[in-house]
Amino acid sequence: MTLEAKSAAISVDHLSKTYPVSFLRLKKLLRRKFKPPVEALRNISFTINEGEIFGLIGQNGAGKTTLTKIIATLVQPTTGNVTVKGHDTVKDDQRVRRNVGLSGAEERSFYWRLTTEQNLLFFARLHGFSGRAAKSRISELFELLELQELATRRFAELSTGNKQRLSVARAMLAQPPVLLLDEPTRSLDPIAAARMRSTIKSLAQANNATIFLTSHNLNEVEELCDRVAIISKGEIRALDTPRNLRAAHTEEERVTIVFGGLGLADSEQALARSFRPELFVFEPSSRADETSVKFVRDAHDQLLDRVLRTLQQSGALIKSVESEKATLLDVLERYEEADND
Amino acid sequence: MILFFRRVWAFLARDWRLELSYRMQFFLRVLSILIVVTTLFFISKIFTGFADPRFSQWRDPLAAWLTGLAVLNYFMTGFSSLANAIRQEQVQGTLESVLMTPISVPTVIVASSAWDFVQATFFSSLYLFFGWLFFDVHYRGSFLLALMFLVLTTVVLSCLGILSASFAMVFKRGDPFGIFLGTGSALFSGVFFPTQLINQYAGSGVASISRALPPTYGLDGIRRVLIEGQSLRDVQQPLIMLLIFLIVLLPFSLWVFGRAVRKAKREGSLIQY
Repeated sequence: MTLEAKSAAISVDHLSKTYPVSFLRLKKLLRRKFKPPVEALRNISFTINEGEIFGLIGQNGAGKTTLTKIIATLVQPTTGNVTVKGHDTVKDDQRVRRNVGLSGAEERSFYWRLTTEQNLLFFARLHGFSGRAAKSRISELFELLELQELATRRFAELSTGNKQRLSVARAMLAQPPVLLLDEPTRSLDPIAAARMRSTIKSLAQANNATIFLTSHNLNEVEELCDRVAIISKGEIRALDTPRNLRAAHTEEERVTIVFGGLGLADSEQALARSFRPELFVFEPSSRADETSVKFVRDAHDQLLDRVLRTLQQSGALIKSVESEKATLLDVLERYEEADND
Repeated sequence: MILFFRRVWAFLARDWRLELSYRMQFFLRVLSILIVVTTLFFISKIFTGFADPRFSQWRDPLAAWLTGLAVLNYFMTGFSSLANAIRQEQVQGTLESVLMTPISVPTVIVASSAWDFVQATFFSSLYLFFGWLFFDVHYRGSFLLALMFLVLTTVVLSCLGILSASFAMVFKRGDPFGIFLGTGSALFSGVFFPTQLINQYAGSGVASISRALPPTYGLDGIRRVLIEGQSLRDVQQPLIMLLIFLIVLLPFSLWVFGRAVRKAKREGSLIQY
């Protein structure tokens, strides 16, 4: 089934958020200085489909947390509206909260003097679990997120990474159809991070959960997300699949060929006979008998094949070929630069 | 209804566990109550045989003080517990996590104060219990009727507590209700001396402050029942006054609290303190 054919799990419609200045009239009346209102989000609209993993990337202060909190009903929009599973986040906030689990980046959101199990037990009961059902669900989550050994440890004693895992466990407690994950692999070691990514994938695939994910780890976003939105200064600047975002940014790739059996000057001459010399940058390689040549090509042209053939016909022995395509970081940087200009 | 009790139980269990992690505090509080009761016993001995016949509730000043302190402790819990709970959650950073669960505003109000009431019941009873056990203080009249006054006054004060919590939600600190009721109740509600003396020494204008405070009626009713042994018919007047306070304050305070939560959400300041 295509993503378009699925129904919307989250729908954001002309959403704007300006944080008001407290007691503005009073401050004006008393002629007190005040900072201007902060415009955190500007006229944002998009839809996230059921079972989709949706990534939101942007610099600090771009509006990611505000948008996440509005979806989670913790902040109210100034204009526009957000619906989760058809329920409005302002008018029907209690129903929205039944459908949403939030794992935030805020470490202080647990009771530090309670154990990990006692913390989850408390939140499970607020979700309406009976004691037995809560314990059974907590035990499932502990197993899934490898937290069993930490069940009786106080939250204050956990490492930052384990606190993060517990936060994800809490978000998953009531098996909500929509999960909002703010940097879910922050502070995790590489193996734990890989397992967390695999858990997130399986939640979307096996349970058809919708996942809204913000992260500064762009490789992770690229690996996990079906679609990615780039937010900058409160506006969505681009929204597409990671592949299409990269392609829209540039079709070029940077190629590095390392070869032996042909000196630097000879290889320069060989390529200059068939191509424009300014296309290439030659460098002696770290090994004395090797040379490297770098150039930029279009992803669909024949340049790489032709360069390789020319070098081989001139007696070069190809040692390695590396190509580097545009990354999400390049795409993100382009939008940031455009915004700053 | 089951869900409601499950959620209240969740808060009770959480707060009990948190309390257990600070054991020393509990024992020190019990000890401090015993010291206060003993001190009041010796002070009361100064007044033996000097009781003014006009103040029938004060013939045994120790009984009057102990009732006053026990009830004041309970009233202040009703008044301050929700605001304290909200402030505590804001400081800990857990308020957003609690409000992220599908819990309604009235449930938050009742549940987050529940443990404070359990504690207040225990500590308030200790004043009366120590008085009875060590200093021969006797109470008469219907304990059930006294309990009804206690619950009613506490609910009325909880309404003011909800208004106080609304302040904590929006202004974070600086709560005028706390200052007014905290200091005002001890001075004007007859905890330590008969309220009639205010009229006699400070005039009727100042005495009207005492009449504007719900604890005055609650304390008067409880003392009339426990110390003077009066019946329901005799205590109708303070009872009606408390019911009027309740009818006006309950819907108003819930409305204000709902508005305060919405304002904090608009400003994005739920976890600020």
